Amino acid sequence: MFPSEYGAFSAVQPDLLTMALYFLMVFGLMAVLLFLTSRLGEKKPTDLKLSVYESGMIPAGTARFSYPAPFYLIAIFFLIFDVEAAFIFSWAIAFDQLGWQGWLRISFFIFILLASLVYLLQKGGLEWATAGQQK
Amino acid sequence: MGNGRAAEMSQVENLVQRNLDTIINWSRKHSLWPFFFGLSCCFIEEATAFTSRYDIGRFGAEVFRGSPRQGDLLIISGTVFKKMAPVVLRLYEQMAEPKWVISMGSCSNSGGMYDVYSVVQGVDQILPVDVYVPGCPPRPEALLQGLIMLQEKIVASERPSRAVFNLGKGGQGTTGPLLMDGISKSRDPRGPGYEGIPVRGSSVSPPFFADNRADRMWTPPAKRKELSPGDQRLAEVLHSLFAAAVVLQADVTDMMTFQVDQEILPAVLRYLKNEASPRYERLEDLTAVDESARRHRRDLPDFTLVYTLLSFSSASRVRLKSGLQGASPDTASICDLWPSANWYEREVYDMFGIRFTGHPDLRRLLMPHDWEGHPLLKSHVYRATQMTPYGLEDARNHQALDAAAFFVRKNDQEYLLNLGPHHYSTHGVVRFILDLHGEEIREMGIDLGYHHRGVEKIGEHQSWHQFIPYTDRVDYLSGVANNLTYLSAIEAMAGIQLPDRAEYIRVMLSEFFRISNHLLWFGTFAQDIGMMSAVFYAFREREMIMDIVEFITGARLHPAWFRIGGVAQDLPDGWQERVADFVKIFPKRLHEYEALTANNPIFKARTRGIGVLTLQDAIDWGVSGPNLRACGLAWDLRKKTPYSAYGAFTFDIPTGPDGDCYSRYLVRMAEMRQSLALIAQAAKEMPGGRYICEDCRYTLPEKQETLRDIDSLIHHFVTVSRGPKIPAGETYFATEAPRGEQGYYLVSDGLNRAYRLRVRSPGFANLQILPGLAKGITISDLVAILPSLDYIMPDIDR
Repeated sequence: MFPSEYGAFSAVQPDLLTMALYFLMVFGLMAVLLFLTSRLGEKKPTDLKLSVYESGMIPAGTARFSYPAPFYLIAIFFLIFDVEAAFIFSWAIAFDQLGWQGWLRISFFIFILLASLVYLLQKGGLEWATAGQQK
Repeated sequence: MGNGRAAEMSQVENLVQRNLDTIINWSRKHSLWPFFFGLSCCFIEEATAFTSRYDIGRFGAEVFRGSPRQGDLLIISGTVFKKMAPVVLRLYEQMAEPKWVISMGSCSNSGGMYDVYSVVQGVDQILPVDVYVPGCPPRPEALLQGLIMLQEKIVASERPSRAVFNLGKGGQGTTGPLLMDGISKSRDPRGPGYEGIPVRGSSVSPPFFADNRADRMWTPPAKRKELSPGDQRLAEVLHSLFAAAVVLQADVTDMMTFQVDQEILPAVLRYLKNEASPRYERLEDLTAVDESARRHRRDLPDFTLVYTLLSFSSASRVRLKSGLQGASPDTASICDLWPSANWYEREVYDMFGIRFTGHPDLRRLLMPHDWEGHPLLKSHVYRATQMTPYGLEDARNHQALDAAAFFVRKNDQEYLLNLGPHHYSTHGVVRFILDLHGEEIREMGIDLGYHHRGVEKIGEHQSWHQFIPYTDRVDYLSGVANNLTYLSAIEAMAGIQLPDRAEYIRVMLSEFFRISNHLLWFGTFAQDIGMMSAVFYAFREREMIMDIVEFITGARLHPAWFRIGGVAQDLPDGWQERVADFVKIFPKRLHEYEALTANNPIFKARTRGIGVLTLQDAIDWGVSGPNLRACGLAWDLRKKTPYSAYGAFTFDIPTGPDGDCYSRYLVRMAEMRQSLALIAQAAKEMPGGRYICEDCRYTLPEKQETLRDIDSLIHHFVTVSRGPKIPAGETYFATEAPRGEQGYYLVSDGLNRAYRLRVRSPGFANLQILPGLAKGITISDLVAILPSLDYIMPDIDR
């Protein structure tokens, strides 16, 4: 799309071809590594070896059941707010070029973020206390 | 022509393979991944090997892996217990291929000094082993040597390339044959060549006492204790309340003792706990004695139950004894009176077969659930080498109880998780079973006995003298502090007076071990909370102490250096300088530790208000040591019932404000300062004179004397070979060990070894509170509470 004066393999002005090559190398390396690990080395799959490691004991019960996981919510919220920081960083890099208009937009964005955080707090989305801790 | 070509091909193939072998072996040699796995004392030296002084990383075995999937080197460090063997085998099987095994220490090599019913006589009966590292425990350098030998073995004799390319044949990893006790290796506990000579202890084995010479030795009777006015008043009150059902025992050496009828025992205990003056608030110990092998039965019952109570206000104890008749008699449980009785009664049931009616959960506590017999019965087999050898099939067949067996109810929203016996944060081989709802612990079960070394049974078969090294290993981080308790009990019974110098040396070394223990506690506590560096700093100072201990005693972890009536040798020249160095350096280091932790907001957040133990609970559950003092009670046996030379020292009893993890941290840090002050005082005021008492009836003479005159030499010979005879009687003696109150209850039948030897360990009581603390908290808080209690498995399982 942007014909380069440095050529397709330029490191100074990368273009799509370079990226494609890069992906190809990544996938190629992964394929080789996976293939070698699956083929090479001694394999002795016994029942004991394939069983679950749980502190040296035989696990009790099944692992397929509905299980309350408050950590999951926290992790998701973290992910959401973490990703949004990326927008703020990219604004910060170019804030002088974006001018007041950019500033207003990012302020609005941050305001929305804050409002959603307050909403989360109000809904109790970040509460994670056990019976013992609430005592 | 065709043949020549094939030969040429195989030559090329061989060349390629040989070169590949070399490359693979070289890489493997320098990147062995030890699996983080330890069983007992040896693991402490193994752990020391990866701290900065020894730095196992220099040999490419850098970071110990927490999961068997990531490790390829299994170092069996410590005693392989029969209850633990199936776990060891499963972990080994779950490791990746190829894998190597180093057997570290005498126990793992051959059972070592633990030729006892609960110990496998060498891990090579269930796993192949490449390198055996001798020692008890081996020094860290010895382990490094073992590692180098394994590396040499890999380079010299393994042909991995065929296995790597799946071409069949070749050879890699540890493949040595399994050995079998009595078939492919010697069964004699003393090694080969002793056939025809009776095994040690046979002269005192019931019912024959063959060729027993203790009867021909004379001793004065056991020391007698006069009752205090307070004791006499209480005896009168009990007599007026319960009449003939409570009988005051005439001859006692340690504390007021009553013979109580079994029917009214709970009533007497209730009275002593709630109404008597002084009130006896703590159930110090509960155990039993099998009287069937007494040499003079007279009117003794089949079993005697022994209850020891402690009064905090008067700093005194009382003992109640109650006879039971029959092979597996019943008696009433006192769990409603003291919650701590729960484990004690289970242990008595496990070890003697005595049943407690009304006990909420009377199951085996220490032995595997499928064990036959009750080990502390005199009729139960003692040595492992008298039993069928334990082999691979046993390790496959005897599996632990399923986690679901530890709880009554279980709905499908809850998840059962085994934390241990092999886990970073269990600090020893113990199995916690968590009933989880999300991250929250709803219920907690504890499975003990993975570290049961049968110490109490061993005590009945070793002479008084020979048992000393076993005490070191009861709490393997407290070294000679264990000797002190055991020997003080003997000395109290026989009325042995120690020279001042011996007492001071004992105090000084015991306090060194207290600091050493607390340092290891500090390092692991901080590590469990997430601070990696603390353990490396703590081990640096711990090595200083180990050097001093080694300089004085010649050993590191287990000096076994105290003797009946004194210590083994005089202090060597130059000890003052080394001790003075430590006393000078250590306060600064302590300050550094505190800078790292005390005001660290993360450390505080993880420990403040976590695992709060109320003082009342602590007393009811028999908690002792720093854990009790962290609840605010200034109770320290060194001050309250001064023993050894402690009465002559000035020091404080640090207490904590809140009974939480942080308070327990504060108390131990302050205790290190106090111990340092004690060491400084002991070094400064060290009296001259003998290091062992002159009473050669019981003690070893000083070494120089045995070289000078025949009288001393004879006494030395008799005490070493036959062991001293201790007069018939019983005594309980407790000291303030680093982890709390450790007591030895000794019953002598007038022989050269104990008739019954009972260890009242601090950890047993301290750990029993855990399910109560764990209810309703998260796993991460549990991981902060576990190290804060500072328990150790060998003194819980014994």
